[in-house]
Amino acid sequence: MADGDMPKKPALARDVNRIGDSFIFPPRVMDDIHIKSELGRYRMRGFSLFKKIPHWDDLTFMPGTLTRFVIEGYREKCDTDVKIGPRAKRPLELDIPIYITGMSFGALSYEAKTALARGATMAGTATCSGEGGMIPDERRYSSKWFYQCIQSRYGFNPNHLVLADGCEFFIGQGCKVGLGGHLMGQKVTDQVAEMRSLPAGIDQRSPARHPDWLGPDDLALKIQEIREATDWQIPIQLKLGAARVYDDVRMAVKCDPDSIYIDGMEGGTGAGPHLATEDTGVPGIAAIRQARKAIDDLGKRGEITLIYAGGIRNGADVAKAIALGADAIAIGHSAMMALNCNKDIPEANYPEEIGAEPGYCYHCHTGRCPVGVATQDPVLRSRLDPDEAAERVYNFLHTLTIEAQLFARACGKTNLHSLEPEDLAALTMEASAMAGVPLAGTNHTVGIEDYHHL
Amino acid sequence: MASVTDAELKEMTQEERVKALGMTTEQLTGKSLYIEFDPDAEERFTYPWAPDVDFNKRTELDCDGLTTTEVNAKVRDLMNEGYGTVVLQNPRGMHSLGVGILNKLNLIIEGSTGYFAVGLIDGPNVRINGRVGWSCGENMMSGTVMIEKNAGSTFGAAMRGGDLVCRGSVGSRTGIDQKGGTIIVGGDTGALSGFMMQRGRMVVCGNAGKNLGDSMYDGTIYVGGEIKSLGVDAVTAELTDLDKAWLTRKLKQYGMMPDKGVDHFTKVVAGKMLWNYDNLEPNEKKLIL
Ligand SMILES: Cc1cc2nc3c(=O)[nH]c(=O)nc-3n(C[C@H](O)[C@H](O)[C@H](O)COP(=O)(O)O)c2cc1C
Ligand code: SF4
Repeated sequence: MADGDMPKKPALARDVNRIGDSFIFPPRVMDDIHIKSELGRYRMRGFSLFKKIPHWDDLTFMPGTLTRFVIEGYREKCDTDVKIGPRAKRPLELDIPIYITGMSFGALSYEAKTALARGATMAGTATCSGEGGMIPDERRYSSKWFYQCIQSRYGFNPNHLVLADGCEFFIGQGCKVGLGGHLMGQKVTDQVAEMRSLPAGIDQRSPARHPDWLGPDDLALKIQEIREATDWQIPIQLKLGAARVYDDVRMAVKCDPDSIYIDGMEGGTGAGPHLATEDTGVPGIAAIRQARKAIDDLGKRGEITLIYAGGIRNGADVAKAIALGADAIAIGHSAMMALNCNKDIPEANYPEEIGAEPGYCYHCHTGRCPVGVATQDPVLRSRLDPDEAAERVYNFLHTLTIEAQLFARACGKTNLHSLEPEDLAALTMEASAMAGVPLAGTNHTVGIEDYHHL
Repeated sequence: MASVTDAELKEMTQEERVKALGMTTEQLTGKSLYIEFDPDAEERFTYPWAPDVDFNKRTELDCDGLTTTEVNAKVRDLMNEGYGTVVLQNPRGMHSLGVGILNKLNLIIEGSTGYFAVGLIDGPNVRINGRVGWSCGENMMSGTVMIEKNAGSTFGAAMRGGDLVCRGSVGSRTGIDQKGGTIIVGGDTGALSGFMMQRGRMVVCGNAGKNLGDSMYDGTIYVGGEIKSLGVDAVTAELTDLDKAWLTRKLKQYGMMPDKGVDHFTKVVAGKMLWNYDNLEPNEKKLIL
C-alpha cells in the first residue's frame, strides 16, 4: 500500500507504514511546540529535570568480603555526625550528615516550612530559610538554621541574620544554573508580597546577580561584611549550581567561606523554566568529584566543608555522594515527598485539581498543590497536618541515615565519612568517566590511563 | 488566592483574616512537641541586644593600627558602655566599617571608607566626612547616613528603610533592588540606577546614566538633570504637587535644595508592563528582547 492511500481498515498502532515515530520529534516534543506557540513564552514548571542523565543508579558499592572486614549491622558504632564550618566560632554541628535545603516560604506553605523545621530538629539536623526572608516560627522550631542571602534580598533583615546559625549565599542552583528565583503571581499572596516588599499577585522573577557584588573579589569582601555583622560567629556557606565546578570551587575557596554547597543538575525547584531544568548544569556524580578535588588541591580539606544536593532519594544516594567526597547532603524534593508531595491522600483529587495522576505531579509553580505543600491557599494548606508531617520528615531523615550507615558498615567503615571513591564501581562508561571510579569488573576508569597508579 | 476572595476577606474579622492568611502562631501538638520542645530550653527567637546609649556621651576612637574587626568590636563595646556619639578617626579606607549596628547611635567617620560602609544597619545616624567605596548603606533598615563627598557603585543596594544621602556623585547601579527608604544624590548617578527597584524613593539632583529604572517593579525616581536613557519598563510620570512638597521637604532637610527649586525634576516610575507577562499583547512581548 502506497503512502497516502486511504486505509481499508483503521490503522493499527503498530502499523509502521502509518505511524510517524520520529526520534527527533516524538509526541511530547510536538506537544511542547504546540503549547509554546499558544503561550508566547517558555514553559514554567516545578520539580526537577525529566530526562535521563548519568546518576546515582549508575554506581554500585563494593562492600567488604574477604579483602575487607565488615562492621556489624546494628551493634557496632558507625558515626554520622558532621561539623559544618569547623573554623567558625560557632560551627554548625549536625547529628546526621543530611539536612533540609533552603526552600522559600512562598514556594512552600507555612505548614510545610514549620513541619520541615520540626522534623529536622527531631533528627538533630538543620534547615534553611530559602528566599523571601524568615518566618519566625521556622526559626523557633529549627534548632539549627541557615539564613539565606540571595540575589533578590527579599525580606533580608540584619535583625534576622544575627539569629541564624549559618548564613548561606545563594549564587546558583543546579536546576537552573545562572538564573534567579521564580515565584508566579498565583503564589504571591498579600503576606508573601509584604515579606518581599513587592506588589501582590505579580510574577516575581528574582535577579540572577547579587546587587552589591559582581565577582569573586567583591564576594570575598561581602563575606567579610557578613562576618563582621555576625561577629565571626557563624559559618558562611556559598551555594553554587554545578557547572564549571573545578574552577568555580577554586574561586569560591579563594573567597574563604566556611562551607561550599554544590547543587547538581538533578536539583529541584519550586518554579523554573522547563528548558532550564533540563538543559543547565552537570550531574552530581561529576560535580562532587571535581569540587572535592578543588578544595583538596588548595589544601582546605577539613577546613571548608563540602555539601552536596540534587536528586538524593535514599540512603544509597547519600552514601554514594559521601563516598565521592561530600561532607554533608542537603535534600529538597525528597523531603517534600515525606511531607506528602505526589501522595494519593483522600482529600486530594489530582486529576481534577492539577490534571495529572498522583506520582506525576510537577505543578508546584501553580500554587494549586493538591496536598498543601507548595501552595499558599488556605483550603489546600489545611490538607497538611503539620504534626504528622513533622514526624514523617523525622522518620525519613532517620531512615536515610540508617540506610547510608548500612552501606558504610558493609564497606567496613565505623564512620560514614570514611566512605571513599574506592568503595564504588561504575555500571556505565559515562558514570565511570564522570565519577572517576572504575567500570565494574575492570581496572579501567574511563579517561584515566592507570587509575591505581595516579 | 484561589479560595479566599477579596470580598470574603473584607467580611472577616481581623482574627479570622489572620487565620485565613496563615499568619497565626502554631500551637504545637503531636510527637515532635514532647521529643524536642522543652519549655525550659532557650528560646531560639530573641532579638539581639540593644544597649541604651546617651547621645551626649561622646568619645573618639583612632582606627590607626586597628583591623576592621577590632574597630567594629570596639564600637560595640562603647555602645555597651553607654556612649551615644562615637567619632572614628583615620578610617584609612577600611572595608565593612560600622556594619550591622542594630541600635541608635551617632557615628561620625572622619575620612573615607572602603566597600560596604555601614551596611546592614538598623537605627544609627551616620556622617562620613569623606568618600565611600561600593555598596555603602547596603540593606540598611532605618537611620540616616550622610556622605560628604562621592560614593562608589551600588550605593544603597537592596536598602529597605531610612535616608541615605550623598552630597557628591555616585557610581552606577545606585539603589539596585531598593525595597524602601530614600536615597538622595547631590550630583550625578551612573548607569542602571534603580535597577529592579521595588519600593521607596530615589532623588538624583544631577544627571542619570543609561537605563535608569530598568525592570523596576515599583517605587519612584526623581531626576533633576538629564536622563541618558530609561531602562525597560521605566516610564516618566507627571510631577504632582505632592511630589514637589515631598522633594522640597527632603532636600531642605539635608541642605541640598537646588537654587532653581524642584519644578524641573523628572519623575520616573514603573510601567508595570512586566508585572504579569501573560497579560501582554503579542507585540508587547518584544519589550524584553
Ligand atoms: C519548592 C522548592 C523551593 C526552592 N526554593 C529555593 C530557595 O528559595 N532558595 C534556594 O537556594 N533554593 C531553593 N530550592 C532549591 C533547593 O534548595 C535545592 O537546591 C534543590 O531542591 C536540591 O535538589 P533536590 O530537590 O533534588 O534535593 C527550592 C527547591 C524546591 C523544590
Ligand atoms: S504534589 Fe504539590 S509539592 Fe508535589 S509536585 Fe505537585 S504541586 Fe508540587
